[in-house]
Amino acid sequence: MRLVAKGDRGAFEELYRRTSPWLAVRLRRRCADEQIVAEVMQETYLAVWRAAGAFAGAAVGGTAVGWLWTIAARRLVDAFRRRAHHAEPPPAAAVPEVAPGAEELALAETVGGDVGDALRCLAPELRQVLQAMVLDGLSVRETAVLLGLPEGTVKTRARRARIAMRRALA
Amino acid sequence: MTSAVSAADIAPTAYAWEILATGLKVRVGRKRMAVDGLDLSLGTGVHGLLGPNGAGKTTLIRTLATVLRPTEGTLELLGESVGGVAGMGEHRALRRRIGYLPQEFGYYKRFTVREFVEYMAWLKEVPKAEIPAAVQRAVERVGLADRADDRMKSLSGGMVRRVGIAQAIVNDPTVLLLDEPTVGLDPAQRLRFRELLQELGTDTCVLVSTHLVEDVAAACTDVVVFAEGRLVFQGPPDELASMGGPEHAGDSPLERGYSALLLNPEQGRGSW
Amino acid sequence: MSGERGERGEHASARIVEGYARGGAGLAADEVWAVEAHLEVCRGCRDRLSAAVGAGVPAVASLVDTVWSGLEPQLAATAPMPRGRRWSARLSRWMTPTMVPWLAMVVAVTLLALLLDLVGTGSGSGSGDVSLVLLFAPVLPVLGVAASWSRGLDPAYELTASVPRAGLQLVLRRTASVLGVVVPALLVGGWATGVMVAQWLLPCLAFTATTLALGGIVGVTRAAVALAAVWAAVVVAPTLAAGRTAFALRADGLPAWGLLLVLGIGVVIARRGAYSVLGAHR
Repeated sequence: MRLVAKGDRGAFEELYRRTSPWLAVRLRRRCADEQIVAEVMQETYLAVWRAAGAFAGAAVGGTAVGWLWTIAARRLVDAFRRRAHHAEPPPAAAVPEVAPGAEELALAETVGGDVGDALRCLAPELRQVLQAMVLDGLSVRETAVLLGLPEGTVKTRARRARIAMRRALA
Repeated sequence: MTSAVSAADIAPTAYAWEILATGLKVRVGRKRMAVDGLDLSLGTGVHGLLGPNGAGKTTLIRTLATVLRPTEGTLELLGESVGGVAGMGEHRALRRRIGYLPQEFGYYKRFTVREFVEYMAWLKEVPKAEIPAAVQRAVERVGLADRADDRMKSLSGGMVRRVGIAQAIVNDPTVLLLDEPTVGLDPAQRLRFRELLQELGTDTCVLVSTHLVEDVAAACTDVVVFAEGRLVFQGPPDELASMGGPEHAGDSPLERGYSALLLNPEQGRGSW
Repeated sequence: MSGERGERGEHASARIVEGYARGGAGLAADEVWAVEAHLEVCRGCRDRLSAAVGAGVPAVASLVDTVWSGLEPQLAATAPMPRGRRWSARLSRWMTPTMVPWLAMVVAVTLLALLLDLVGTGSGSGSGDVSLVLLFAPVLPVLGVAASWSRGLDPAYELTASVPRAGLQLVLRRTASVLGVVVPALLVGGWATGVMVAQWLLPCLAFTATTLALGGIVGVTRAAVALAAVWAAVVVAPTLAAGRTAFALRADGLPAWGLLLVLGIGVVIARRGAYSVLGAHR
């Protein structure tokens, strides 16, 4: 990161090469509109290029790409906001149905068998809210914009998800 | 990155209106009641505040920003009571969720844009790790990304105003109070600003005090007309426009509606 | 909900990585969650994801290329941020950003008082055994506090009053920085003229606390001007005229100063809400 801050194009290119596929895949799972994803990615990397010096200090704190995701997530929410008032809310990624996939032992252990089961059994709309708030680190307001729901609904679903998880893990 | 969700975040919202004032009175100086018995309720969306000069709009906005104490009446911001017995508190938690741009926006000339917005972010207690990203986002949203590292004394008046808007939104507030934000902006910039306002209005309660009626017509979902310390009208811009007819002074339907409401034709020519 | 960690050395299988890259509903929900949390921390798996994208998911690969081609011309156009001055950011948290003129004034006044004192004791005439440093000591921080909060000197006073950090925290920081400049200067002055430390320190602190306390009620600039005027009229003028150290400045007066200091601090704490409103900034 420090190299990028000094204006090293090569370092930036490498940062882009290593992180853009991951970012693209993750964004595509949250927004079905490819144009928005492209726009968000462009804004994110441009912001990193412009303000690398300021970010270098913050990046040392969390995980290396965690903050990259934070920037991208906020830009995604902003993009949704821009289009929300045009009365055609952009399509958030469709909620996948619970697929009866085979257990992958290595990863099931990472999540913890019980937690994994509990997650899988959670209703999809509750899981979606939980994913936005916990995994993506969005606030209630941002989640509401991203999923196109009123804030009250987001809060209700988060509470229900919590109760369901607690009950499943008890 | 996995983050914890606290119970407080997802507790049901305890308030119906972001800004709720009943019988609000604010005294300025020794005798004058700038706000005299105001009943106002504002929710999410963009609200335009219109009114004659000296009517107390700035005083009202200052009171909403908790910079002035109400003299009488009740004021609740985001469910928290401001004024009255609870008034002597510092309202720290509440102020973290408020963004404010004063009419006389004072700034430090020797700071660069980024340094100034960072300083304001620190003053607003934005968590330290989030400051660089929040500053960059705010600067980009107001369209100053190219000038982010220039000193503020080298900026034009409109750009300085935009820096003021940037510092108001840097902490992602739930209540945004803008006093004359479009001063010095050219028409193209005002257009972009209106887009920003509409974007903000999706999940924030924005109150914009302005003299420019076109700003109100285009960007605001709701117009509040404030005169002599009291609420004179609150409703959609179309409704205000429909109150005016061809016999009222004004160049646009909204202006005619405004004059129908406020301007007294019997006033002599000597007083405006 | 934060039990997912990838550091145990277990990585995502190829099936999961490819399924994740393809998008869609190929994976179970908890697998998606786990792999996303894991990818944030594991660079190796991210590289594998890049490889999988390159090999099997042309949509994403072309997306990545499109974004880069749009990005490249802009990179050349915009310059990255210059390495900033970190110290100035840290300094402005402690001191009002427009305080440089005041700093210069403090140093100048202290030096002047010191010089006059030394000249005075050398020639043994004029204001005899009255130390000018002692006379000016209490006034310097008062002026400093006024400069920190005055509407005229701090252009961003209204914004400063409206922020969550306004109030006792900011007051203490700025006052500490004011004292941090004044006290060492006076230490040098006091040591050079042989004046006891407590003799000027207590009045100094007491006046600072009183300025802040009064400032919360009537506005800091007014309070500072009033206190400086009172000090000049009641103590400085008679002392210079009579050539004797006034009672207030002698060692016997110290308990009274101590009391004033405690009182001042008490009022400041009790009325701490006053510093987050416009009234104090007059």
